[in-house]
Amino acid sequence: MNPHESEKLETAVHAVLRRLPDRKAPSSLEGRVLAELSRRAALPWWRKSFAHWPSAVRLSFVLCSALAAFLGVSGLVALAGTQGAHQVTGNISSSLAWLILARDVVASFDGKARQILAAVPPLWLYGVAGGIALCYAALAAIGAATYRAITFSRQTT
Amino acid sequence: MNDEPPVQNQPSGLAPPADFTTFMRKYQDMVFTTSARLVRNDAQAEDISQEVFIKAHEHFDMLATSPSAGGWLKTVATNLSINHLQRYRKRWKFFSEFGGDSQEDDAPGVEFAAPDTFFEGIDSEEKRAWIEDALSKLPDHQRIPLVLYHFEEIPYDEIARRLGVSLAKVKTDILRARTALAKILTRGDSTLTAMAS
Repeated sequence: MNPHESEKLETAVHAVLRRLPDRKAPSSLEGRVLAELSRRAALPWWRKSFAHWPSAVRLSFVLCSALAAFLGVSGLVALAGTQGAHQVTGNISSSLAWLILARDVVASFDGKARQILAAVPPLWLYGVAGGIALCYAALAAIGAATYRAITFSRQTT
Repeated sequence: MNDEPPVQNQPSGLAPPADFTTFMRKYQDMVFTTSARLVRNDAQAEDISQEVFIKAHEHFDMLATSPSAGGWLKTVATNLSINHLQRYRKRWKFFSEFGGDSQEDDAPGVEFAAPDTFFEGIDSEEKRAWIEDALSKLPDHQRIPLVLYHFEEIPYDEIARRLGVSLAKVKTDILRARTALAKILTRGDSTLTAMAS
């Protein structure tokens, strides 16, 4: 298509489209909007976003949060140096002893797996990896081709 | 299409300003149409329109007296519709763009001999419905930039930026959309003429 034809087409399509009137909105739209506004208006302030909270409450919340953070950090710092803190650390370590056992079990499996892998010829491993990659690509291609076929058939019908 | 008057049943305990209801009635067709032409689904367009008016209610103090309220609503409706489309587009982008647009690439140019025939009977309800239907039959990647360019009057580069595609793709897609639309409309003219005779 030459530029002149292209321009002519643009002008014609633009004129046709711009002459289309607006479609009628569904009659349910107004009721839905009003119902949603009503529902939101009926919510108590603490269930609305922070921006809708009363100013005094917002200020109090910020101050309380800062105070709580300060107390929390101070408390942790104070506790860290006490005799009780070492005892608590010891208690936690003993209650998590099963994690060490689990780590040893996993490590032993890991060792066996490494031994088995070392015994398998590298060519086999490359072949399995290539096969997995091929299956993945084939699956993606089938999916994409099916999607394109369905979309194209919808567009042409 | 429905010609029923807007619903009057306000839920109990509701106290939106009476002006807001008037405001909504004034613009609801425009907002719904903007969204429906982009998302091609009336139920989703209604959801988006609801969201637009809820945002409008939050800014009603400013919009009530603003001469550009219609533009504000149109922009919000367009943005929300594009956001909605992007959510699904990301999911299907790989599949829909896989293999390119070879069919369209090989398509011959439209024989565009008589654009004036498009205007014949344009004011009839039947012809308008036909054009809306033709528009909705275009694939998303052609319809969306076409609607943004011709209805929302957004320039090519802005469309490319908002859709996250190249400028060249936007121009090509819009040209193909116009060509496809012209073909459908030309076919439609002959069909409508045959139906009428």
